[in-house]
Amino acid sequence: MIDIQLIEECRGGNFNNFRKLIELTSPFAYSVAFRILGNEDQAKDVVQETMVTIWQKLKKIKSAEVYKTWIYRIVINKCYDQIRKRKRNPEFIADEQTWALISNRISVGPSAALENSETSKIIGLLTERLSYKQKTVFVLSDLEGMSNDEISEITGISKSAVKANLYHARKSISEKVEKYL
Amino acid sequence: MEPENEKYNKVLDLLRKSKPGLDSTDDIEREVIKRIERVNHAGLFLSDAFDFLFGWVYIQWIRRSLIAASVALVLVFVYQQSVILKRIDYLSRQTIVTERESRFAHAEEVEKMLMVYRNSGMRFPSKNITISERQMKELIESVNELQLKYKDLENLIEEDPELKKMIEKKLIENNRTNNNL
Repeated sequence: MIDIQLIEECRGGNFNNFRKLIELTSPFAYSVAFRILGNEDQAKDVVQETMVTIWQKLKKIKSAEVYKTWIYRIVINKCYDQIRKRKRNPEFIADEQTWALISNRISVGPSAALENSETSKIIGLLTERLSYKQKTVFVLSDLEGMSNDEISEITGISKSAVKANLYHARKSISEKVEKYL
Repeated sequence: MEPENEKYNKVLDLLRKSKPGLDSTDDIEREVIKRIERVNHAGLFLSDAFDFLFGWVYIQWIRRSLIAASVALVLVFVYQQSVILKRIDYLSRQTIVTERESRFAHAEEVEKMLMVYRNSGMRFPSKNITISERQMKELIESVNELQLKYKDLENLIEEDPELKKMIEKKLIENNRTNNNL
């Protein structure tokens, strides 16, 4: 958990404490970025850009309590920028092997965690037909475990829109799983 | 929507447990620090350059002088505009007078040209003198006017024998002088 005292010290311009903040913030920022982008390098880029933005604007945030929500918002926006950049050349191509991988992993049991590359493939496959909003809401809600209120605050869309996007995302993924597994 | 699909839930469980992890935050930390230093350096350079170029505007007496100069410039501008407007008004009235003068000038010019033509013993080829219809009318009018004046003069001379004698005498003297030359 990120210490509020640490954030306050960083807001005062303490560069050494900021290193500690990077260490604590990077993992969950990376997790969201990777789940949305499905690419390690791009996710790392997003984390780096996010941390630079945090350093530049840390003094402007009203209180340390909103820090996590604020970071998620920055990450989501940076991911959207990345996706817009690569929109012309989509990287992910769904294949039979990915479905076989999912099937195999499910049968092994929940104890077996996935590699990053496997996670990327599976999320890419499941969400390939979703819009950016739907994918973001799905990742934040079902994978990061956030409430609709938090998602609404992070993404800047209304709660009813969050619910609607989540409904469509779950429906689409559920239909795919039903069809191919 | 809560999908009751067992496979869907299993896939979600698998993805939730497989949280994408960073190998090390050191690379990100190093890169972030490097970027921040670069941004700060660029920012410092810009602020130094800005201060060097425009720092003098913060000196009190320079600010007051500039305000005074700007007020003076505005006053000069207003004065200049009023002078220009007066001149334009004056010139717009002058145009009509100039037009009239130019009409008279044309007639005089043609007369002068004819005088030169006569005095030169008609050596200039006639095609060199080109006049417009309007100029021709003016010329005829002036010739008629001259003839009338000449008749008046003749009548005056006829009525006054002394004047007649004096003029005849003067003409004879002039002819002699011309012959001697």
